[in-house]
Amino acid sequence: MFEPKIKVNKALYDLLVKQADEKGYSSVEEYVTHVLETAVADAGEHATEEEIRERLRGLGYLK
Amino acid sequence: MNFLCYIGPGAGFAVMGSFLIFFGALLLGMLILLSLPFRLLAALFRRGPHGRFRRCVVMGLDGMDPRRARRLMEAGRLPNFKALAGQGSFSPLGSTCPPISPVAWSTFSTGVNPGKHGIYDFLTRDFNSYLPELSSTRLVKDRKGRPETVLLRKSQPFWKALGERGVPCTVLRVPLTYPPEPFRGRALSAMCAPDLRGTQGEFTLFEEDGAAGSFTGGRRIRVSRQDGLVRCALPGPTLDGHTLEASLEVKWKAGNNLKARLLAGGAPVRLRVGEYTPWISLTFRQGRRRVRGIARFLPLALEPRFRLYVTPVNIDPGHPAMPVAWPASFSVYLSRLIGPYATLGLAEDTWGLTAGVLSDEQFERQTLDIHRERERMFFEALRLTRRGVLVCVFDITDRMQHMFMRRMEEEPVSTDPAADARIDATYELCDAMLGRLRRRLGRRDLLLVLSDHGFTTFRRCVHVNAWLREQGYLVEKEQTEGTSDYFAHVDWSRTRAYSFGLAGVYLNLRGREAQGIVESGAQADALKRELAAKLAELNDSATGERAVRTVYDGAAVYTGPYTQRAPDLVVGWHSGYRHSWDTAVGGTAGAVFSDNDSKWCGDHCVDRLEVPGVLFSNRRLVFGAGGPHLADVAPTLLKLWNLPVPGYMDGNGWQLEGKSNV
Repeated sequence: MFEPKIKVNKALYDLLVKQADEKGYSSVEEYVTHVLETAVADAGEHATEEEIRERLRGLGYLK
Repeated sequence: MNFLCYIGPGAGFAVMGSFLIFFGALLLGMLILLSLPFRLLAALFRRGPHGRFRRCVVMGLDGMDPRRARRLMEAGRLPNFKALAGQGSFSPLGSTCPPISPVAWSTFSTGVNPGKHGIYDFLTRDFNSYLPELSSTRLVKDRKGRPETVLLRKSQPFWKALGERGVPCTVLRVPLTYPPEPFRGRALSAMCAPDLRGTQGEFTLFEEDGAAGSFTGGRRIRVSRQDGLVRCALPGPTLDGHTLEASLEVKWKAGNNLKARLLAGGAPVRLRVGEYTPWISLTFRQGRRRVRGIARFLPLALEPRFRLYVTPVNIDPGHPAMPVAWPASFSVYLSRLIGPYATLGLAEDTWGLTAGVLSDEQFERQTLDIHRERERMFFEALRLTRRGVLVCVFDITDRMQHMFMRRMEEEPVSTDPAADARIDATYELCDAMLGRLRRRLGRRDLLLVLSDHGFTTFRRCVHVNAWLREQGYLVEKEQTEGTSDYFAHVDWSRTRAYSFGLAGVYLNLRGREAQGIVESGAQADALKRELAAKLAELNDSATGERAVRTVYDGAAVYTGPYTQRAPDLVVGWHSGYRHSWDTAVGGTAGAVFSDNDSKWCGDHCVDRLEVPGVLFSNRRLVFGAGGPHLADVAPTLLKLWNLPVPGYMDGNGWQLEGKSNV
């Protein structure tokens, strides 16, 4: 509910709104989040095989 | 005589404290009373747009098949569906590519194709490690190292747009709503919500003299008895490397083979062999840490060998260890209304049946009980919805068909009439529920009954990775040992294509995959064409049948910002075929074709044209040239409330017959 906010200048914001619309995003927030997520994707922690197996355990579609 | 006594300040604080509470409450009451006219006025302005209908009710029946529905309607066994079809519309409903629940319900919620919501399968992959992982959520850690679950379904559900414009929405158990997203309305999470252990549903079997170990979807724990008493510990969540446990005791009198008593921390619970207990509240402890969950117990036998089945431990909706609803208090509110209920995403324990721990009847009983909970929840929500949108998805149709669908609809004779009868009875159960719903709806209410896909059988497994290996597209390391699952044997430096999940084939693309060797552009396009042509010819020598109906090019069927994660090819199987159990988890060893000998005998992970969903409505609807599609529901509901349809949505709003618009 109280998520951090980032300020950008108006010109950049207008450009982001335009591009979000053109690219099929549902909102400028979604577009900016995707761009930022892509930029930091490699920096995040990756789950180990054992953690993944545990999380998938019990899903009927998978053995 | 004088008495001197000392009155300390504590008494004064106590008296003044109680007065402060009293005056505070009085002041608050007066404020509420005085502000009432202003709040009523504000509510009048906030009322939001007027819709064409007072209420729009969407009843989702996961996996309901239009062919079976039509046959049963014609046989007079679904009178309420037949009446609804006569009153309004009845049509097959186009599903997504592939027609898999998380993909399809995400398109239903958002009105967009998978390229814009980013869900293509139950699984996605890590571009660095190639490991298949859950596509719906990801665990991340915040600045303080605390784990946080993030929903990976992108775009926006239609109820968010409706809520922002003042249309009250209640959304119950629509898949891919975990973790719950904030919006101006109420929602209860569903498919992909984990159990308390963080898995997708792991049952426990306490067994005397049995070997401890794991089932695919369960855990077996060996116990011993002393004088008619079994003491055991049910594992719960693992926090910081420590597994929290709930202590259990089961007692019974010598010679009594049927009845026992369970002590699980609260009042003793009666156990009767072959009968489920109600939901039992459990407290898992480790030192000072406590987490609450709920589970049901089913004693399978007391003598001569003690066997006790425990359902996956669900998050307690009355005391949620993690939020399973928006707002978080909504799950608590529902539990006050209807009592404890299943919160696990795929709550029905299909692996309990597959592993042979549960009988057909015991699985059906569990599924029916969960359905009854859902039904009570739905009708309570309907009672409380005077205006707005109510959506509820029921899973019983999907689970029963997965476990009992041994006959294709076009086959006249069933090899297992009892299994077939269970599915027919499930459709009749839904028909009776529809009857109760229709009696509660008025002239100003719109009703849509729909499913995300239909159903067919799953008889033959196709090990796509084994085929890719045989064809030279997937290369294994020269020295391998142990299981080949999770691509353990793959030599990525020589592999051009691989598969996992339930429908996709992926190129090992340079610049996308960490060890990619296929150049994007002309080389990738040529490889896709080559693979598609060969897959289309794939022949099952045991049956003489073609396994593949259509191979879809991901670049042609998906548009949007999230296509980087899309499969490069989607295999549209003929009915009866599916990605094998081994391919699904990135296995590479074994033969290309094999019989599916699992109890999980029905499926829908085939070509989307083989398994359309179903749509009923109580108004006659006019659809576009291609017929109705799941993506049309979101724009239709927005139009019904006179709200503009955003340009990013792919679906087309349906029209009411005789009206220029809905």
